[in-house]
Amino acid sequence: MKLNVKINRGEHIDQFEVDYQPDMTVLNVLDEIYQHHDPSIAYRYSCRTGLCTTCMMMINGRPDLSCQKTAEPGEDGYLTLAPLPKGKTIRDLIKEY
Amino acid sequence: MAVEKIQTDVLVIGSGTAGLAAATYAALEDKQVLILDKGALGRSGSSTGAVQIAGLGDWSHEEDDTERYLEDIYTSGRGLSNPNLAKTLVHDIDQRIQDLIDWGLKLDREGDQVSVSHTSGHSLPRSVSAKKGKAGLGLLHTLRKKVTKDERITTLSDVMTIKLIKSDERVVGALVLELSTNKFFLIQSKATVLATGGAGQLYPITSNPVQSTGDGFSLGLQAGATLIDMEQVQFYPVSIIEPQSIAGLCISFYHNSKLFNNKGERFMKYYAPDTLEDATRDTLSIAIATEISEGRGPIWLDATDVIDQVKKEFSHEYQLCLDRGVDLANKRAQVGPAAHFMMGGVRIDADAKTDVEGLFAAGETAGGLHGGNRLGNNALSECLVFGARAGMNAAKLVDDVTVSILDANPIRINQYGNHRPFEIKQHIQHSMSSYVEVIRKNEGLREALNQLLNVREQLENVQISNPDVYSREIVDYIEAQHMVNTAEAIVRSALERQESRGSHYNTDYPDLTSTIKHNLVRMKNHQFQVQPEEVESSETKR
Repeated sequence: MKLNVKINRGEHIDQFEVDYQPDMTVLNVLDEIYQHHDPSIAYRYSCRTGLCTTCMMMINGRPDLSCQKTAEPGEDGYLTLAPLPKGKTIRDLIKEY
Repeated sequence: MAVEKIQTDVLVIGSGTAGLAAATYAALEDKQVLILDKGALGRSGSSTGAVQIAGLGDWSHEEDDTERYLEDIYTSGRGLSNPNLAKTLVHDIDQRIQDLIDWGLKLDREGDQVSVSHTSGHSLPRSVSAKKGKAGLGLLHTLRKKVTKDERITTLSDVMTIKLIKSDERVVGALVLELSTNKFFLIQSKATVLATGGAGQLYPITSNPVQSTGDGFSLGLQAGATLIDMEQVQFYPVSIIEPQSIAGLCISFYHNSKLFNNKGERFMKYYAPDTLEDATRDTLSIAIATEISEGRGPIWLDATDVIDQVKKEFSHEYQLCLDRGVDLANKRAQVGPAAHFMMGGVRIDADAKTDVEGLFAAGETAGGLHGGNRLGNNALSECLVFGARAGMNAAKLVDDVTVSILDANPIRINQYGNHRPFEIKQHIQHSMSSYVEVIRKNEGLREALNQLLNVREQLENVQISNPDVYSREIVDYIEAQHMVNTAEAIVRSALERQESRGSHYNTDYPDLTSTIKHNLVRMKNHQFQVQPEEVESSETKR
């Protein structure tokens, strides 16, 4: 099974078609992209249990935790990821702390 | 490329509870403090996931006191707990928790009473929490607020430590990489505190955050510090195995639940007939791993009889499972041991000083307090007590130090190497989970050592295709170097211990030896040295 992913990386939007299993989280999808599609993708996470909140990003237009949110396409057929609008974005999906 | 220099009185590496406590207490002594973290400051340590903290206070059980708490630590430590560290913990913890309360921490209450819970291995209830079962978050919020408001403390997120710098046998700072700019800095400090947490990421299934790659053990080793009892790795016995997306999640209510093997047997009756699932973590991990290795896995957790209590006291864990399709109200969960905590670590004294002048260690990075098995909820207690001691004592070092400006670029960027850093990390994890898990054998330990030597060769030929800022490949590369050093220290220490004690269970030596020894690991001229040292104190022997 494949999942189409769009990532807003500031100056451009990249698209990926990744291998997908139904219980994958958005963070699992980002790991898949880093390991097998684009080693330059930048994203932040730590605890993987929804507590540290450092993996927060816009997921299909809504702020959510990438480690907790099940990866699924939005209405346009893409899982769409972008950095949170508030605060300084340093690179791709990484906000400044 | 010249390396810029930054000066501070006290450098703190790591910003979990131990690091934030060290920074706070050093600043209270009116010192300039620089605290850095390779992730988001104050949000990237293992403390985040801690549910409760054990301790003493005006809320303690009427029969509890320092002697009884100390006795429980000694019993759990299987003869390897350092009595000076254990006495310090039980002596200081009351005041340290009170400091946090004075700074705004609110303990969870039942009516007008502080809620005090029982935890396996503690002879009396002495665990308290905050933020409704998220004690770690409560401590971090309180300390982060304190650190942020203190003008004597500078904080830096996303800064990786490459190595500690020494001058005349004294640690005088660290070489670091700022990920947001890809610039190296030389930090010059009168005292340095290692508080980088543990090394759960040496294993593929762990409760630890992604940053727990054993950096502090590796940095300490390379600076000449001694590591103690590194073979003592605690596996959290009852952790989620499936679904994979929450693999490693600790199930804190296992002592109230039932465990079954694939034959439907409540197998703990064979291993701990008196306590069943309410056994210490080492006993439970070995029992579960034995069931799995002898073909009676997978292991299932049944919490249906206590589900109301689970929903109330452990709502976050219940909800995480529910969100991923496991409703513990009517479904069993597949569980097993997951890498959780390093009892071993950088050897310290009661002042949190290491063997190297100018270098302190605290929290999980330090070793010796818990011996062969850490009691539940003593991790945050350790972080608070020894973080504070590290900060206070680091502040006493007032001699100026000087560091020569380095000129070399310590990271070799090779776009055409053969091995991607994340794959090297996976190789380390595979070796450790195959041969250095709960149940160990001599042959497996020797094989792990061979494989780690191969990993070192791979690290000489790494492919880094993205050298830009926030390069995950550079992060993985630096972490892989720390991981292989830490892994080798664990394996060599495990080979040295020719008995089964605490969390180290070797089927070739299933019994205890009559003489109790610590294993001390040092690095000299890039070579590991392991030296046994007989335990002198008779008071901890059990």
